[in-house]
Amino acid sequence: MANESVHRDFSIYLRREPVLLALLSVLAVLATLAVGGLSRIFHAQQDALATRWSARGAADLKAQHFQDAATEFRTALLYARGDFNYELSLAQALLGLKRTGEAEAYLVNLWSQRPENGLVNLELARIAAGRGNMSQALRYYHNAIYAAWPGDQEAQEINARLELIHYLLSINAKTQAQSEMISLAANLDDDPAHQANLGALFMRAQDYEHALAAYRRSLDVAPHNAVALAGAGTAAYELGRYAMAQRYLQHALEEAPGDAQTAERLRVTELVLRLDPFRSQISVAQRNRNVIAAFVAAGQRLKSCQAAAGPLVSANSNADLQAEWDKLKPVMNASGLRGNPDLANTAMNLVYRIERRSNLGCEAPTDTDLALLLIAKLHEGN
Amino acid sequence: MKGIEVGSSPDAQTTVIVEGSHSTSSTHEAGLSPAAVLRSVFREERFFLILSVFIGIFSGLAVVCFRFLIDWCRIYLLGSGAVLSPWRIVLAPTLAGLLIAVLVIHIFPQSRGSGVNQTKSALYIFNGHMSLRTAIGKFLTASIAIGSGHSLGPEDPSLQIGATLASVLGQRMRLSRDRMRLIAPVGAAAGLAAAFNAPISAVLFVIEEVIGRWTAGILGSVVLAAVSSVVVMRWFLGSESLFRIPSVELRRPSELIAYAILGIIGGLASVAFASGIGNLRPRCKALPQWTQYFQPAFAGLLIGIIALLGAPQVMGAGYEYIDEAMHGQFTWQFLAILAGLKIIATLLSFVSGTPGGMFAPTLFIGAMLGAAVGGAEHALLPHLHWSPGTYALVGMGVLFAGFLRAPMTSVFMVLEVSGNYSIIVPVIVANTFAYVISRALQPAAIFDVLTRQDGLELPSMEEQREENILRVEDAMRPHSGPILNADDVIEKALHVLRKSSSSALLVRLQPGGWGCLSREEVEKRVADGQGDATLGSVLEGQHIPSLHPDNPLDMALRYVDRWPLVPVVNRANLRKLEGVITQRDVLDRYRDFGGE
Repeated sequence: MANESVHRDFSIYLRREPVLLALLSVLAVLATLAVGGLSRIFHAQQDALATRWSARGAADLKAQHFQDAATEFRTALLYARGDFNYELSLAQALLGLKRTGEAEAYLVNLWSQRPENGLVNLELARIAAGRGNMSQALRYYHNAIYAAWPGDQEAQEINARLELIHYLLSINAKTQAQSEMISLAANLDDDPAHQANLGALFMRAQDYEHALAAYRRSLDVAPHNAVALAGAGTAAYELGRYAMAQRYLQHALEEAPGDAQTAERLRVTELVLRLDPFRSQISVAQRNRNVIAAFVAAGQRLKSCQAAAGPLVSANSNADLQAEWDKLKPVMNASGLRGNPDLANTAMNLVYRIERRSNLGCEAPTDTDLALLLIAKLHEGN
Repeated sequence: MKGIEVGSSPDAQTTVIVEGSHSTSSTHEAGLSPAAVLRSVFREERFFLILSVFIGIFSGLAVVCFRFLIDWCRIYLLGSGAVLSPWRIVLAPTLAGLLIAVLVIHIFPQSRGSGVNQTKSALYIFNGHMSLRTAIGKFLTASIAIGSGHSLGPEDPSLQIGATLASVLGQRMRLSRDRMRLIAPVGAAAGLAAAFNAPISAVLFVIEEVIGRWTAGILGSVVLAAVSSVVVMRWFLGSESLFRIPSVELRRPSELIAYAILGIIGGLASVAFASGIGNLRPRCKALPQWTQYFQPAFAGLLIGIIALLGAPQVMGAGYEYIDEAMHGQFTWQFLAILAGLKIIATLLSFVSGTPGGMFAPTLFIGAMLGAAVGGAEHALLPHLHWSPGTYALVGMGVLFAGFLRAPMTSVFMVLEVSGNYSIIVPVIVANTFAYVISRALQPAAIFDVLTRQDGLELPSMEEQREENILRVEDAMRPHSGPILNADDVIEKALHVLRKSSSSALLVRLQPGGWGCLSREEVEKRVADGQGDATLGSVLEGQHIPSLHPDNPLDMALRYVDRWPLVPVVNRANLRKLEGVITQRDVLDRYRDFGGE
């Protein structure tokens, strides 16, 4: 009897809750499968729409139709919520529209998802740079340099570093720019265009030694590159290596005869070489002639300076130099220089001082004056 | 025994020992039958919990399908692009309005109206019963309405769909009447949680606005259903929140003044919105019957024209535009215009009887208004820290508190959506202002207004929350009668009573507790020859349960008909008498309270 009762109770419960729950479980599985099927159809359609709109957006972004691109990427995001690439493209379109705040919101969100993404870091760096937030810009630029990039990783790193260098130069942070350029030089291949570009950057940072080296590396591969030749000539010119500068500039002009700036620099370089009395391998007579010519040019410079400034000003400022010049003038001839070996140095010192002071307060120097200034700079301390 | 919880199940006479994840049953030791084991496992409250998970799963699946259908409607009616064709903008909501009117009038007459109130009706009027037909109607008509651009949201229909599924399941499971009444709110929480992707807010809303009270029995089921529905929804639709949340910060406490201003303006906007619905809805319903066919279409036409004139953002739920407002895409002037136009568009859609919810429009209006107020404050006071996202988020909470009058949900909703607790202070400040202003200017909450317009008399949760509860201290009086000890004899009690005008005396029992004897009983015992018996022996086993001044007066009702005099004692010292209470005291207090 007891067994029958247990069996009856059990069967009652089998008909009730356990069975109902089992049925519910089966129903839930079936419903989930059905909704899963619907979901696949739904998501396939959403993906197709997202792809279609993002393709249009990409085309418009490429064509710099930023407004259309932004609308299309927004539409794509309606169908692919949170898609990383679409959000990134939308942020780029918004940046193109100068809607920086909105773009930044997207980018910060993307950064929190993938802090290692190069493009996101680069865009955030640009925004921070635009806002003048140097520390944040540097952080994002460095993130971008060491980030993961799709495609040619090395080229993207170089581009990011180049952009950082441009940014640093634009805010006159030359020391930081130089260290970035030195890092860049270590990673850069022998591509002549890259090396010439690097040389130009070194030039902007006034690091002429590294600039010359970069240009020379470029010329090793492409010796007829006019830009590199002109750059190397300019770097040599700035370093006071006028003979070398003359050589590079002459070649540059041969490659690009219409380059007025190079022609002008060559003319000054040649003047420096011609007027420099302390240049080696010239005769004593030639040296004396150069000293006399420099002395005469300095006197002219002093006079024109006094005439331009007016009698009152000149009386106060250049009277001492004029007196010295007047005092030396009687002996400044070939016999005077031959008779007094120190006279050349004394005269050239006066010339240097006249040219320097005139350069500060007088009209623009002539080519000769400029050459004398460069000679003064070259022999500074002698 | 540390870390071990012992629970007993008196029905099944089973002891369950739980230690960490390991659980053992002493069933076999107790020699119980398999039927008893099953009966124990499937006791109704446990079965109800298991059922709640299924309710969550089914509600989640239904809400996922609802979202699919809304999207399909939008794509096929309005087009797949973000920039809409002018013809579609005007024609889609108008023609959809005509179709909806036909469906609602002829096939699904119960589909219009608030899902919250229909769920409350199921709870308080229909013993938990809801019609599947209504849910199907809501599913179809709300999808078409929202997809075609009517200014309504999917949350309220989702809530109703969840509640109806739960009710249907409960009916099939033949649950008891008590459980059936509670099952609709469980489904409502599941539906709302899936629609909002915010389980905490959904649970709070259902507790705050539908059930109206916190009870352990229902809370577990509501939470389980909400969580399982959100899990299902996220499985199919992903876990992204409805909008991207910007960084939120409160830099200076003085900024709270700006948020308080937002609360005031939000409160006024809530009142305008609620008054508009409260005034226009009965007028539209009172129009001739044939106009019911054209009201949704007319509303759709006007919304289309608003969109065509430069504000397509007012169409549909508008979550994508909340996102854009949060990220400063609109000027504050345009945000203010959008808030105003959305109020108009939602009014048109809702009062015309188009099925759909007001949660999403409320959030939209709040976000636009919040960002607009923040932008205006920043324009006037440029030194003020200004983040449109923060103001938009706070604005959403403000409208939720002011319009839907769910103050607690409004705070937690913003916290849950933003995932940032630093916003809590601005939200509380702004919501408090909005709620107080809304309460002052619009005495009845919007759900209560709609209920009364529909001819129903459902309990108002807001009134319940603010109802004064009578306590024992409101009815008790100081005791002036005799108090004897347990070792005193009956004779002495009679002697004391004869000297006193009191009809009963209190007895201080040993080792603790109180007893009470009436004059009649004392006299009867003396007459029976028990005059030498001690009071303690007479009152053995007749302790009066302790009443304290803060107990609800209802509790006193349980005792005052059994004892002529019930002592009210101090909680810290049960021997210390604070006063006494009689049946007459309780009834007098209730009578006076009714007069108040």
